[in-house]
This record gives sequence, structure tokens and C-alpha cells, in this order.
Amino acid sequence: MPRIVVCFKWVIDEAYIRTGASQELDLENVDYKLSDYDRNAIEEAVRLKEEYGGSLVGITVGVPEATKGIKDALSRGPEKAYFINDASFDNLEPSQTATILADVVSSQIEYDLIICGEGSSDLYAQQVGPRLAEKLGIPCISYVQKLGIENGEIIAERKMEEGVEVVAAPMPALVTVVPDINSPRVPGLKDTLMASKKPVISITKDQLSQTYEPCLQTAGILAASMERNCVKFGGELEGIAGFVESLLKEGVIS
Amino acid sequence: MAGVWVLAENHRQTLELLNIGRVLASKLGTRLAAFLLHDREMAQEYIEYGADDILLLPSLPEDQSLDAYIPVIAEEAQKQEPDIFLVAATLRGKEIAARIASRLNTGLCSECISLTLDESGKNLEMERLMFGGAAAQKVTCRTRPQMATVPPRTFEPAVKQSGREGQIKELPVPPASALRVLEKKARAHEASDIREARVVVCAGRGIEKQEDMALVRELAEAVGGEIACTRPISEELHWLPENLCIGLSGINVKPDLYIGVGVSGQIQHVTGIRDAKVICAINNDENAPIFEAADYGIVGDLYEVVPKLIKELKGEK
Ligand SMILES: Cc1cc2nc3c(=O)[nH]c(=O)nc-3n(C[C@H](O)[C@H](O)[C@H](O)COP(=O)(O)OP(=O)(O)OC[C@H]3O[C@@H](n4cnc5c(N)ncnc54)[C@H](O)[C@@H]3O)c2cc1C
Ligand SMILES: Nc1ncnc2c1ncn2[C@@H]1O[C@H](COP(=O)(O)O)[C@@H](O)[C@H]1O
Repeated sequence: MPRIVVCFKWVIDEAYIRTGASQELDLENVDYKLSDYDRNAIEEAVRLKEEYGGSLVGITVGVPEATKGIKDALSRGPEKAYFINDASFDNLEPSQTATILADVVSSQIEYDLIICGEGSSDLYAQQVGPRLAEKLGIPCISYVQKLGIENGEIIAERKMEEGVEVVAAPMPALVTVVPDINSPRVPGLKDTLMASKKPVISITKDQLSQTYEPCLQTAGILAASMERNCVKFGGELEGIAGFVESLLKEGVIS
Repeated sequence: MAGVWVLAENHRQTLELLNIGRVLASKLGTRLAAFLLHDREMAQEYIEYGADDILLLPSLPEDQSLDAYIPVIAEEAQKQEPDIFLVAATLRGKEIAARIASRLNTGLCSECISLTLDESGKNLEMERLMFGGAAAQKVTCRTRPQMATVPPRTFEPAVKQSGREGQIKELPVPPASALRVLEKKARAHEASDIREARVVVCAGRGIEKQEDMALVRELAEAVGGEIACTRPISEELHWLPENLCIGLSGINVKPDLYIGVGVSGQIQHVTGIRDAKVICAINNDENAPIFEAADYGIVGDLYEVVPKLIKELKGEK
């Protein structure tokens, strides 16, 4: 029966990002969310547990304020969560996140399968999963669209450019999942209430045994602007005629 | 510590990386090395396309995937200490680049869309998108090698120069990876490449049923365009193949005209149409974000608007 660990991240909801005066990001009124594809990662972990039994824990690295994210994740099914937190963990790069996760996973968690999202909604670096596997010295299967366990081995369908690659790997292993692997269920009120009773193991920076110096240096972040006409027409015949006329004027249809 | 390395799974992307690699290697006064997967025949050709060194990876058994090369590549990098290592951002490429970067304890700029040397001429300034494409992040890498994955078509392929000479180095056979390939299923039918299309009509989740895709096709025909889609249409519903999905995790298009039908306009999608000349949208929610990214929009039910629009375009009233 597999002992499953699922990695999730609490991120800025990009839909709230506005552009400030000189192209800088305005993060004043942003809200946060569970990284989109980590919902698929959690759902898949829950599905596997339902099918094969075993256990399921969640793990995240973040700032102490990310507790809302832990609750959100726990309401989706994991039994408990490991919360590695520090006020300085707001801008970690993938190499640091992977090192921190590896540190805690290898010293505190017994596992057969680790599941990550394909990429996080904010960075979308698609690195933490593969780097974590490498740090733990276990096989990595990335971009998985279908996942199962047979004879103690992971069997996975990877979605590649030229088609599907079906692979097998012994456990323990790490997989990263693409969003079409499942449709995450929406937690109900009961799930949310239960989530607040589940244990959260808080791990602070001074309890880590490895260092995690950044490799990358961010020289700047600028909003990607998009200047468009933003003309709206109605759906009645008149509006449609106006729309077509505009396209003719632009010379993009004839 | 010297050298620029490039690694790509396929021929075209190797040529694209050789192009930018040649520019960087010349500026740095160093050698350019290209990995070549089990096809010795290609070595001379890659040299003529700009490589000084070929790092030849031996053939793998049927049941092994690209990841088997990781230990060999990482070991060679530890020996030769390249200054820059670029990997084509295919799916496998992205995974192995992250794992090699981990072994080498170095930084990796994922899906790098621009790279130039800074004023000192020593460090790469790399740009990538973040927040779904809402922002561009500029990074440098303090550690070596400076690694980046580069999406296909970020650079033009290199131009051939006959008479160039180079060296071939054969790398050792890697130990078998724990990962075994059981089966490979090719995609049923290859869709056309719409990256060069002049007009693109994009189907979004506002389309209710698969049959209704006919309506979108009809509109595409009426405007002389190709059909494309958002990620839910290809990934969740599988109504169109993935290589027609536009956006952050799909392709970028740069048509003269883009028309989104039932597309909400989330940033991850809009990022892929940034270079379109004219952007249009049909959506029944007047507050849909697509209208902020569009030049011309029609607010209305696509099931009423599209048939009328087709008639208007065909000049039948
Ligand atoms: C890391 C990451 C990467 C991603 N990469 C991509 C990517 O590459 N490409 C991509 O497309 N998405 C991508 N996404 C997903 C993206 O965030 C959106 O979820 C997706 O683009 C939404 O697709 P949609 O507009 O078709 O669907 P929805 O957001 O569901 O929008 C449907 C729209 O149709 C309208 N509508 C409904 N009925 C009608 C009607 N009868 N008439 C007219 N309008 C109607 C609605 O008002 C709505 O605006 C990514 C997400 C993440 C987190
Ligand atoms: N801070 C974090 N805590 C836990 N897991 C993370 C964190 N950041 C990334 N991950 C995991 O790694 C995946 C890929 O993230 P990224 O490399 O940032 O694209 C995510 O989908 C998560 O599963």
C-alpha cells in the first residue's frame, strides 16, 4: 500500500495582478490560491489512495501566512500536512525549494510515491519535481496523464510531443502530473470543517540541515503590457456589421 | 571553465540552439559543443552549422528514455565545466535540464525567451515569463554553468558554412535507467502547424458540445483561417490536438487576425497571442478579460453571433 506525498504551493492569483505606473507589477490587492495544477496533483493522490489504500500527506514550503493554503489543500483529502515556513520563503527559486523539500522528506517522511504538479502557477518553472527526485536519488516521471500501480511498480502514461510514452519505474518514485489527468473535486463544507482538525507539522528554518543558497539573481520583473483598442460591439446585426467593417478597415479580411 | 553547450532532442532545435550558441561562443572567445544523439552521420553537418565539438551520445536500448543520459551528461559537464549550457525546451528536455542542473548545483532559467550577454560580456541576461505571462522576469545565474531551456522557434536555425572543422568525442554508454519505456503510441493524426497562419479562429470552453465545433470551423472558413483552441479544449475535452493549443503551455501565434470564440482570456492563453496584429473576441460576458486584450469584441451569445457573423462575412444578409 503506497505511502504518498503530494507537494503543493500557495501562490499569488495572477488574475489580480495589475500594472503599476512604470510597468512594474502592482501586487497591492492580490489574492492567493492553491497553485492550479497542484489541485490535480492532490486529486490524483487521493484517487490512488482510494484505489490502492495506503497513506497520503501533503507538504509545502512557504511563508507563515500560507496557512490558508494548507487548509485548502487538506480539505481536498490529505491526512496531514508538513508546513516548512519562514518569513524569508516568499521568493524562493526552484533549486532552493527542491533542496528544502528534499531535506524534510528524506529526514522525516517515509514514502513510496511523491506527486508534484507539472508546474506552479506563478513561476511555472517545471523544475521542483525533477530536482527533488534528483536530490532524493529516485526515478522521475514527468508530464504524466495517467497513473497506476502494478506489482509494486509505477506505471505511467507520459504525454510527449510526438505521442504517449508508457513507462514503468520502481518505487519510491516521483511523478509530475498534467492537468488532464483528472478533474479536481470541489471541497464541500464538511471537507473544509474536517480540514481544520487535521494535524499540521510546522517546520521552521532552523530545523533544516541543508543550506539553500540561490543560484539565480532576479534583475527585474516588469509587467507584460498589451495595448489594444478594446472596442466592443453588440450582438445584434448592427453590431456585427460594425465589427466586420472594422476588420475590413484594418485590412485583415477582404 | 569554458565552452557553450547545446542539447536538443531533434534536428531543427539543435540548429536553432547552434545559431544562438555560435553567437555566444564567438563573443566569449570559446568553443561551441553540440550533443548528438546516436547519429554519427549528423556530426559533420552540425559542425558545418557552427559546432566546434560534437559530444556523441551512444544509442540507447529500446526501453530507455532520454533520462538515461543524465549521469553521462552531468559527469562530462563536471569534467569540462562549460560556461553556458542551453537545452531545447521540449518536455523531455525540460525534465532532464532540471535534473542535470540539480546534479551540477546550478541555476536554470526555464523557457528562456531572450538571452544576451551583459555589459561585462561574461554573464547571460535571461528573460522568462512568470505569473502566467502577466510579467517578464529578468535573471542572471551566479553559478556555472549558466543553464537555460529555450522554447522551439525562439531563434532561427543556424546557417550552414561548408568547410568548417570540428572534433567528435564519444561519450560512454550510460548505465540503465530505472525508468523503462513499455510502449510508445504515436499521435493518431498530426495537425497542421498554425504558427505561421495568417488568420486564426480559436475555440474556447464557451463552446458547449463537440458538435458545435462545426460552427467554429465554418467561421474559420468564412475568414480564410485556421482553427486553434484553449487548453481545456485540447487537454480536458480532447476536441482538438494539443499542438493547436495556444498559450503559455502551448504555442505562440502571430497572425494578422485572431478571433476568440467563447474564450475567457486568462493570461496564460493571452500570452500566446501577444504578437497578433488584430485581436477579436466573441463572448457573452461583457466583463470577460478577453475584451481588455482585444481590439474588437462582440458581446453576445456565440450561438447567435457566429451564424450572423458568417452571413455578414459572406455578404448574405
Ligand atoms: C500554468 C498554467 C498554464 C496554462 N497554459 C495555458 C495555455 O497554454 N493555453 C490556454 O488556453 N490555457 C492555459 N491555461 C489555462 C488558463 O488559465 C485558462 O483556464 C484557459 O485558458 C481557459 O480556457 P477558456 O477561455 O476556453 O475557458 P473558460 O475560462 O471556461 O472561458 C469560457 C468563456 O466562454 C464564455 N461563454 C460561455 N458560454 C458562451 C456563449 N454561449 N457565448 C459566448 N461566450 C460564452 C464565458 O463567458 C467564458 O468567458 C494554463 C493555466 C495554468 C495554471
Ligand atoms: N513552495 C513549494 N512547496 C511545495 N511544493 C512546491 C513548491 N513549489 C513548487 N512545488 C511543487 O513543484 C511543482 C512545480 O513547481 P515549479 O518548479 O515552480 O513550476 C508544483 O506544481 C508543486 O507540486
